Amino acid sequence: MTATPGPVAGATRGRRSSGAGDFVRRFSRRREGMVGLAILTFFAILAAIPEVLVGPLQTAVTSIGPRLSPPIDGFPLGTDELGRDIVNLTVHGARISMTIGLLATVVTVAIGVLVGIVSGFVGGRIDAVLMRITDFFLVIPTFVLALILTPIIRDVVGSATTEVFGIRMTLIVIVVVIGITSWSSTARIIRSQTLSIKERAFVDRARVVGAGPGYIMRVHILPNVINLIVANAVLVFAGAVLTETTLSFVGLGDPFQPSWGQLLEAARSVGAPGLGAWWYFVPPGLGIILVVFAFTLFGSALDDLLNPRRGGRR
Amino acid sequence: MGGSFVARRLGQAAITIVAIILINFVLFRLMPGSPERVILRGTPNVTPERIEALRERWGLNDPVFPDQLVAYITSTLTGDLGYSFIARGQTVVDVLAQRIWPTILLFGLGEMVAIALGLALGAYSGWRRGGPIDYLGNSVSLILYSTPYFLLGMGFLLVFASSIKWLPTFGMLTAGRVYGSPFEFLADLGAHLVLPLATVSLGLVGQYAIVMRSSIIETLSEDYVNTARAMGLSEGRILRHHALPNALLPTVTLIAINLGYVIAGAITVEVVFNWPGLGTLTVQALTARDYPVLQGVFLLLSVAVVLANLVADLVYGVLDPRVRT
Amino acid sequence: MRSPIRTRAARVLVALGLVLTAVLPVARLATASNHLILKTGTDQDLQVLNPFSSILVVDFEIFTLNYDLLLNFGQDLEPAPGFADSWSASDDGLTWTFHIRDGMKWSDGTPATSADALYTYQLVIDATAKSDASEDGYYLGAGYLEGYLTNAGIKSVSAPDASTLVVETEFANTLLLNAYVPILPRHIWESHTLDEIGSAEGSTPFLNEPPVVGTGPYQATEWQPGDHITFTRNPNYWGKQGAADQVVVQTFQAMDTAVQALKSGEIDYVRGIQPDQFTALQGDPNIQVVEGISNGFSEIAFNTYNRGPIEGGGASTTALQDPKFRDALAWAIDQQKLVDVTLGGFGEPGTTIVPPFHTRWHSPPDNPRSFDIAEANRRLDAAGYPRDASGNRLDKEGKVITLRVTWPDSEAEHATDAQFIKEWWSELGVGVDAFVTEEGKLLDDLLPPEGGGLANFDIELWGWVGDPDPTSLLNVLRGEEIGSFSDSFYDNPRYDELFLLQRAESDEATRFAQIKEMQNLTYDEAPYIILYYDAELHAYRTDRFGGWTNQPSDGGTPLFGYGSIGYTHLTDLSAVPAPTQEPGATAGPSAAPGGPDGGSTGSDSTPLILGIAALVVVIAGGLLVMRRRSATAASEEE
Repeated sequence: MTATPGPVAGATRGRRSSGAGDFVRRFSRRREGMVGLAILTFFAILAAIPEVLVGPLQTAVTSIGPRLSPPIDGFPLGTDELGRDIVNLTVHGARISMTIGLLATVVTVAIGVLVGIVSGFVGGRIDAVLMRITDFFLVIPTFVLALILTPIIRDVVGSATTEVFGIRMTLIVIVVVIGITSWSSTARIIRSQTLSIKERAFVDRARVVGAGPGYIMRVHILPNVINLIVANAVLVFAGAVLTETTLSFVGLGDPFQPSWGQLLEAARSVGAPGLGAWWYFVPPGLGIILVVFAFTLFGSALDDLLNPRRGGRR
Repeated sequence: MGGSFVARRLGQAAITIVAIILINFVLFRLMPGSPERVILRGTPNVTPERIEALRERWGLNDPVFPDQLVAYITSTLTGDLGYSFIARGQTVVDVLAQRIWPTILLFGLGEMVAIALGLALGAYSGWRRGGPIDYLGNSVSLILYSTPYFLLGMGFLLVFASSIKWLPTFGMLTAGRVYGSPFEFLADLGAHLVLPLATVSLGLVGQYAIVMRSSIIETLSEDYVNTARAMGLSEGRILRHHALPNALLPTVTLIAINLGYVIAGAITVEVVFNWPGLGTLTVQALTARDYPVLQGVFLLLSVAVVLANLVADLVYGVLDPRVRT
Repeated sequence: MRSPIRTRAARVLVALGLVLTAVLPVARLATASNHLILKTGTDQDLQVLNPFSSILVVDFEIFTLNYDLLLNFGQDLEPAPGFADSWSASDDGLTWTFHIRDGMKWSDGTPATSADALYTYQLVIDATAKSDASEDGYYLGAGYLEGYLTNAGIKSVSAPDASTLVVETEFANTLLLNAYVPILPRHIWESHTLDEIGSAEGSTPFLNEPPVVGTGPYQATEWQPGDHITFTRNPNYWGKQGAADQVVVQTFQAMDTAVQALKSGEIDYVRGIQPDQFTALQGDPNIQVVEGISNGFSEIAFNTYNRGPIEGGGASTTALQDPKFRDALAWAIDQQKLVDVTLGGFGEPGTTIVPPFHTRWHSPPDNPRSFDIAEANRRLDAAGYPRDASGNRLDKEGKVITLRVTWPDSEAEHATDAQFIKEWWSELGVGVDAFVTEEGKLLDDLLPPEGGGLANFDIELWGWVGDPDPTSLLNVLRGEEIGSFSDSFYDNPRYDELFLLQRAESDEATRFAQIKEMQNLTYDEAPYIILYYDAELHAYRTDRFGGWTNQPSDGGTPLFGYGSIGYTHLTDLSAVPAPTQEPGATAGPSAAPGGPDGGSTGSDSTPLILGIAALVVVIAGGLLVMRRRSATAASEEE
């Protein structure tokens, strides 16, 4: 099986980067990529300084609005059933959703890169075993696995209110689960690139002068797949945000740290669609669509540039 | 097609399924509390003696390896997935069996509609690359691809539940309705199908169109297409006889692989529309932490995806001899 | 004990299905068409048809449709004719004689006699005896029904003739008249062993699948688990027949869809709706909403376990064993605020463990508390819980007090309560570590060593639902229940003594005094802080069926109460018997949604939809323009 599962783009070959300035110039000609970048910048700002923009996250205790009110004076996007300002919730939701997305991407890519480089470089039996495992994760419905894993891991680690990077343990579990279940396509891509780099002369030279495999992988292989990692990470991020949203929507979120998915779940359980309370779920919903959309545009543009087989195709 | 290729693919599929069973086995033992406590949940006055009796019956007192493992694999392969915790006394297989048909109906139809629409749109976009349809279609496809299925569903609910009350917004059939004729039944089923089906199809169509489009573009730049052009074949003929069949191959494979991803959407769409299928069952089981049912769903869906991939591979092998290596 | 239904746990606890007929039209084409069907909706999923496995409110509703209790519950929950049509007690109150209705038949035509009642009661007595005798601890099904007979002190039962049932009890009491035990047809059930009936996870469990045979007004004839169950009128029913020919109980995954179905006329009755939906439905001319007062409560339960330290578990501080400490914390809880925010105003602030629903037994506390942070601080100081330099309260061992507050994931609304509690108690210097726990794990954590667990928690938020008699609610604070139903490990000999006294007391005034003392005792010592009595929110359509009658008349609900009486009152209002099918058939304007203070919320979302459509077009258009440019750019580059 040769196709990769990334529904939109899956790079199979990369190439060494040209100069950074050249890259920026070429990227800036990619209008979709720029649009994606602009949208992302907007949400990144929301996520970075929510307190500055809308004040601290409102809770049942600190909320002052009327119950489930449509947009009115002072509440431009209405309120939820606890009287919290939807603007406040959506902006803080951006931070939570994007932080989880970012962390999950780091975990996913780290596992994928490790498996990919080791598998491609070491080869032989280890390669065969690692690739069998990779294929396994490519083929199984990983979302269902994530559904089962999340509550189990959560109960194993306990539900204490420890925070990591400002994210509660319950959500860190989601990060880990996304990482465990979605690294396989990254591993595939990195492995094939590693295979081709391995044959290059400079790797042979390093081997001849007696560099150990760990050193070669770290110093020679890794820098040469970094472009590919970046391009892939952007697409992984989009997937991670979607997965987190879906997991929260089926009830695995954390009401104390409402991500966009958690807000959508809350909206549904209050019955917002049936009550015509569009203001409750449209803002977080649009947030998700725009972020995933932007990452996909941005990621595809990067991929086009960093992937010789695709360059200039679109 | 070489027999060894088929044998190898069958072998791989079998290994994958055994690996899934292994994961299930391990997960069952990782569960919070202990299996017997989870089985007895909600039952008051549980004495240690009763727990002991349960451990005995479920074989939990045997060594984990190899006795429990062997017993687990054997019983799973013979179709015994254990008992649902909350549908007291019912086997997981029974529970799954009654929920599978609504899902097959909804997602079978949804896939068909999405494939037909997506491939047509993608092929046309790719063929008329740079045209207005391409631009519009591609942007809409991307937006649809970026939208969680359930969000589409909630949008439909908002419109059809609070503004336009043309269509039923939940369930598969009108509750308790008695049908005078099979036609009435089908009409009722059809009316209930519209919104979930539209959600599923729209959710899928974006990615299929995108994949088909790039596949067509790739194919159109192949040498043999250029040769055909040079030979003076009409564009329509080139598309139908050369580009389309070749572009379909990777697309079909991708659809098979994507089944695993589609399932995530399946679960949420069913929940939004109260559709009585496997997705709703999954969330019910998740809410109640009915792990045997969750594992049953995982196994069932995994086997379905593995088989779909196997079939796609074999078909691919028939159509394109190069992969039989 | 219907009570030890973990209330809202139950509401969310959903069940799974059993028989495959889902997409088969045949199953539904068979029955004749111009039947009058009553359709009710709930978010609970019926899990069992074997009454002994019942846990959820809907389980109880369904077995009382299928079967009669020995005595049913009347309009105001008084004992009413059921399987027996008259009854009397001996002078010493120890022997009850029930007269079984003459000529009564099971729905399959078999005569229904005292032999059936004898069989059923003996089954429960046998199970209890087996439980007492064996080390194995035997329980009949889910274990919720035996208590009705054991608390009544049942000793033996006999049937001297076909129409007489005699029950001997150990002490004089009236609890027997409230026993929630359905009388089962011996000719169907006796071929199954006690194990098959009572052990749902056994190898050959008796599931009592449709068609069910009973003496109740309707029997289950078709079941699509996870979706709906259909009941058909009992042709042999002895009592007043309701207008509905069939009753369908439909399960909904989300209340939203259930409310839509009610508005569109697809169902006639819905139980368990959300506050905002309740408000929105009030404007609909064809829909009547009912705010029933709750026979139950949501509570803060403290881990008061004081029988020595528990290795690897137990409470994090001994302060929880101190009634003064718990009392002080209770002063720092604004119950009205919780009712307003968590319940959307639908409920009452809680006081004692016997809810006001029990008009005859509820007694407001003699020494009521109010919300007063300063008073709470004074009381903590006085009780010997000083603050350290940074303002944290210390327990008697000098340890900083940080309380773990948890609740089951099935009761999401407690997250809101917990946020408030954390805020309020922080003003006392008492730290709160609030988190949700998966329900099954929480059930484990709540078990003390006596029940094979570690009682590894400080404070849990959960709830109980009661019976027409308060005994089952009073039961959960008994010392004897430690290891079983008790989740606070409250252990007060006086309370336990009073429990036994009130159980065996036939004089109402004396019994009231005893129950009053129990309420005061537990209010003052606060093993539980009763947060609120949450209302039962129901709604029904008024255009097809009439005769909706609340049970009890004052503060009750028409259905999903106590037995099948509500169904038998219904009358046919529809001129055309065919059920309405058009989802849009609702006459009148749709209700304007909105909160109590939110006013109209503009349910017309057309502008919004147009807006979204416009947005999509703009994005697409923008991309189109940019694509053209970028295509140019790309080709330049090549």
